Amino acid sequence: MAVKSYNAGVKEYRETYWMPDYTPKDTDILACFKVTPQPGVPREEVAAAVAAESSTGTWTTVWTDLLTDLDYYKGRAYAIEDVPGDDTCFYAFVAYPIDLFEEGSVVNVMTSLVGNVFGFKALRALRLEDIRFPIAYVMTCNGPPQGIQVERDMLNKYGRPLLGCTIKPKLGLSAKNYGRACYEGLRGGLDFTKDDENVNSQPFMRWRHRFDFVMEAIHKAEAETGERKGHYLNVTAPTSDEMMRRAEYAKEIGAPIIMHDYITGGWSANTQLAQWCQNNGMLLHIHRAMHAVLDRNPHHGIHFRVLTKILRLSGGDHLHSGTVVGKLEGDRDATLGWIDIMRDSYVKEDRSRGIFFDQDWGAMPGVLPVASGGIHVWHMPALVNIFGDDSVLQFGGGTLGHPWGNAAGAAANRVAVEACVEARNEGRELEKEGKDILTKAANNSPELKAAMETWKEIKFEFDTVDKLDVKHK
Amino acid sequence: MATKPDRYVGIHNDINGGMTTIGKIIRDAWVFGIIEESQTCEGWNLAGIDSLLQKVNAEWDKYGCLVSNLPAELYQRHRQIHDEAIERAKAAGWSGEAETDDED
Repeated sequence: MAVKSYNAGVKEYRETYWMPDYTPKDTDILACFKVTPQPGVPREEVAAAVAAESSTGTWTTVWTDLLTDLDYYKGRAYAIEDVPGDDTCFYAFVAYPIDLFEEGSVVNVMTSLVGNVFGFKALRALRLEDIRFPIAYVMTCNGPPQGIQVERDMLNKYGRPLLGCTIKPKLGLSAKNYGRACYEGLRGGLDFTKDDENVNSQPFMRWRHRFDFVMEAIHKAEAETGERKGHYLNVTAPTSDEMMRRAEYAKEIGAPIIMHDYITGGWSANTQLAQWCQNNGMLLHIHRAMHAVLDRNPHHGIHFRVLTKILRLSGGDHLHSGTVVGKLEGDRDATLGWIDIMRDSYVKEDRSRGIFFDQDWGAMPGVLPVASGGIHVWHMPALVNIFGDDSVLQFGGGTLGHPWGNAAGAAANRVAVEACVEARNEGRELEKEGKDILTKAANNSPELKAAMETWKEIKFEFDTVDKLDVKHK
Repeated sequence: MATKPDRYVGIHNDINGGMTTIGKIIRDAWVFGIIEESQTCEGWNLAGIDSLLQKVNAEWDKYGCLVSNLPAELYQRHRQIHDEAIERAKAAGWSGEAETDDED
């Protein structure tokens, strides 16, 4: 006997929320959902239900509908498309009037778009694939505190990717030894070192102690190299008051950049911190811990390109993007798509990169993508080719794992990146000629030569779980 | 319940053929002549290793922490000690791959 799994209620959603003749306005917020319906429920009805439950659907049964112009504020499901290669689901496109949302609040937008609707009975699964934020809404958001060009000017570093390294507390490092590891990395040639995302202020290393020793390291490295250096001091904290206290202290001791875990820390706290950074001349590095909980399942959750847009609006100068070539997840075309979303001022719809809408960012500054995790010098030619100059290439184990130590690992990466940039500028094909380029550079750098001997045997051949839908065919 | 060891096992008994953070400290201490090459540091406590690290750091500071900045004699000594250690570590199953099991 069939089990009845869904009942629309007094009237069907599609009578009110399915509007295939609707032409979206320039000011509408547009969303593309990948919808997996319960069996037997018509697509139009499910799409309309998604539009309803992510906008005004919950308002209709209360007396206030007499006071509110629901017809103006409602979401409108205006199109349905097949998902290439997957008959279990379809794309539903929904337009929301801009006035449905508070200005400058990604929190408010996302509370509607990915709120109760994700637990709705008519759906087996739901994924928010993309959002188009109209320029009128973008203009209400603060955005990145400084942006790419201002960061380069602050650091006086141009024409190459920036280099970073996450410091691992391999031995439960004391704050002093932690600071020493930062110094060695920066002295060897890195631009930045970084707190691990889960290093906040634990009993083994309280935040203030860490901040003090790291700043000492930065000052020493700057004095010896003549370059501006930085360390992403993680100010993520249990409360936003405490987060701000740590940020204020970082500024007080002269740190140029701080760091926040924007998903676990929360978007409200992130927006607050980004606005403070903008007002105080600080750079903000953003880690995406917890993103895979939301974005890895191809049928349910929130795609990372949406989380990228949320961050650019909420504010951050760096955002981890995946590496494409390392050990961690990342489809090349999809990654290139959200790298464009981070950096460009106008991004065209491009289904081959998973981008469903044109996105105009106006004058909002860009965010530097951070390639981090599972990479080493042999990946450098591909990384420079894929990410270009406006990026941060972050080698953790690929620096600290150098058999001669941290400074040697840093020097190897610095020589490698400069060799790749020079070769690219001469018109050489980096991924094709990478071995020759690195081998020649290693003739003058024993640190790079040793790094190439350490990692040359490694191959990464894992497949990605979340591929673009066009590749499911 | 297993308890945390409070004494170092010695570089000759260390994991990954001695290709560890403490192993690197000891090899550099050999390079700079802070301890004899026969000293494996077996039985040393953490404070002893930490003290050795500070001495090694002070030596590296003279050369900007880089092997390529070492004077010829020290450079050769570094190459000899570290090349041998890398060969031993590789023979013991170490590779750089484990070092890049880091996070995003």
